[in-house]
Amino acid sequence: MPALSTDGQDNSQNGGGPAAASAPARPYWIGIGVMAIGAVWLYGASGLPQGARYAAVGPGLFVTISGAALLVLGAILILQIWRGESFEPQEAEDAQADAGMDRRAFFTALVAVAVPIATMKPLGMPFTATIAFMLVANAFGSRRWWLDLICGAVLAALAWFLFARLGLQLGGFFPPLGF
Amino acid sequence: MQTFGLLLDGFAVAVQPVNLMWALVGSLLGTIIGILPGIGPALTIALLLPITTTLEPTSAFIMFAGILYGAMYGGSTTSILLNTPGEAGSMMTALEGNKMARAGRGAAALTTAALGSFVAGTIATLALTFAAPAIAELAFYFKPADYFALTTLAFCSVAVVMGNSRTRGFISLFIGIAIGVIGIDSMSGQPRLTFGVMQLLRGVELTVVLVSLFAVGEMLYVASRFRSAPAAMASVKGQAWFTREDFARSWKPWLRGTLIGFPMGALPGGGSEIPTMLSYTLERKLSRHKDEFGHGAIEGVAGPEAANNAAAAGILVPLLTLGLPTSATAAVLLAAFQNYGLQPGPFLFTSNPALIWGLIASLYIGNVMLLVLNLPLVGIWVQLLRIPRPQLYAGILVFAMIGVWGLAGSWTDLAIMLVIGLMGYVMRVYDFPIAPVLIGLILGPMAETQLRTALAAGQGNPIVLVSTPLSGTLMVIALLFLAVPPLLRRLRANA
Repeated sequence: MPALSTDGQDNSQNGGGPAAASAPARPYWIGIGVMAIGAVWLYGASGLPQGARYAAVGPGLFVTISGAALLVLGAILILQIWRGESFEPQEAEDAQADAGMDRRAFFTALVAVAVPIATMKPLGMPFTATIAFMLVANAFGSRRWWLDLICGAVLAALAWFLFARLGLQLGGFFPPLGF
Repeated sequence: MQTFGLLLDGFAVAVQPVNLMWALVGSLLGTIIGILPGIGPALTIALLLPITTTLEPTSAFIMFAGILYGAMYGGSTTSILLNTPGEAGSMMTALEGNKMARAGRGAAALTTAALGSFVAGTIATLALTFAAPAIAELAFYFKPADYFALTTLAFCSVAVVMGNSRTRGFISLFIGIAIGVIGIDSMSGQPRLTFGVMQLLRGVELTVVLVSLFAVGEMLYVASRFRSAPAAMASVKGQAWFTREDFARSWKPWLRGTLIGFPMGALPGGGSEIPTMLSYTLERKLSRHKDEFGHGAIEGVAGPEAANNAAAAGILVPLLTLGLPTSATAAVLLAAFQNYGLQPGPFLFTSNPALIWGLIASLYIGNVMLLVLNLPLVGIWVQLLRIPRPQLYAGILVFAMIGVWGLAGSWTDLAIMLVIGLMGYVMRVYDFPIAPVLIGLILGPMAETQLRTALAAGQGNPIVLVSTPLSGTLMVIALLFLAVPPLLRRLRANA
């Protein structure tokens, strides 16, 4: 697919030699995802009045605008991906942007974020935070789980006492035991 | 000199022992999070938002301002010693500063950065002192159409300037706007996009979105591409701190950096990246030591560092006078105002002068505190970098979780944290700018209210949106933001 030079894309223009061998990844799914969000918002807007009796604009108009905009932008993104748009991962401290994805680390960290959904209410904040702490530390390569257990438990308990004193409603310390 | 009298009243508020203590707490926290990776000023203030329920507003904002300024100082320290610019505004500092540190001139680089930050912070606060009341005075005459045009301009500039692609900038922006419409519509009382979930009736809190994007998204991203070998830290032991020649080469770049940074920070979408880059380019052009650039030129640290700090003060101008946030940190500060039931803007200057002027006065005090905290104690702060990364990122997630759960004890918020956290990860991998999401989320509802008020007053005629000279001008500028970059590109391609 020839890239259109007017679009400011400089890839595949200067020599189709060895550089052209690594074809750019084409993550169409992002564009499709953006369009899907737009479609859901448009569907949500369809049940809302677009105009109101006294005011000219009803509660549905802004929802329609945001949904339609995402639908169009998603389509544009798909077109750009088709033309060979390149995506460079952002720079971050402690991260190697050009390195490949470490799936095990990523999914371990993701589980740490998901755990609270299941345990926060029944088992309390300190327990949940300790588990999440151990999982994230493990994802970042820590292999001394007992040390992480102690660190996590101390941090979680301290934070619970401190924030509860500041007036935050964090729930019981360990609800299964009733306190 | 009414402003001067008001500022003196502000100092009377700021020097109260309790407020001095909060300024110190803020400066300390700001310095620490500026040095630590994975956590920045926006995230810190968002995590501290719950304390607004117990803390008096003046004290809270004095602390938040300390965090905002302190993070700039801390950020320059890591850029110079470790070559790890935590945010876009410190990139230029790292370029020359780290070269200086490697050549045994790290102490001088740190000093010019700290003094430059101090000079820029003080001059910019002075400019804020006199510009803010004047702009607030003008804003009294703003009509809903003007406000709508202003938010439209902010949307366009933020989406175009932040990040590398306009399409992705606008997608970020509209995702923010889309999240902002969830919940009960404030004007008609109708629920929107709640999908039958009771907890969504109150909408999605900015804190949840911000914590998910910045803490969870960043943590997932770094975990997936973790560089376990720590960067080598340059030592500053036994070095000359600041010679007369260093000063002679630094003071002009400080002033020029301030002059560039402050107005650009005040403009919507100006940010800190462009002014620091402009300052760097300018210093390189003007320097008599051009050959040193790229190998550790002190001007290349002094100018950008001053520009960075001045830009940070600049964002307070539209925030305090118009209630218009132009960066992620400003968006959180606006949320903090809203938590107190306060709306920044011209009326706040008359209804709550103690808060506004106390805050401005505390910026002067905070700057002095930061200089004292940072120059002699820099050796202590860099020890923070010894915290092992696995435990550091685990701790950040724990605090993020507490911040989200503590808001309302809601299961839904934790689920949203997972979904938006994943989105934050994808946005980092595919280079979508993050800040426009937050600007869209917080400005979207404002834009909608102004649009509906304006149209209702004009009986539905859209012409009313450009009926005043100001709204017309702002809309034209917003259009230019959209049209000019591709036009320039086309012209260049044809040339």
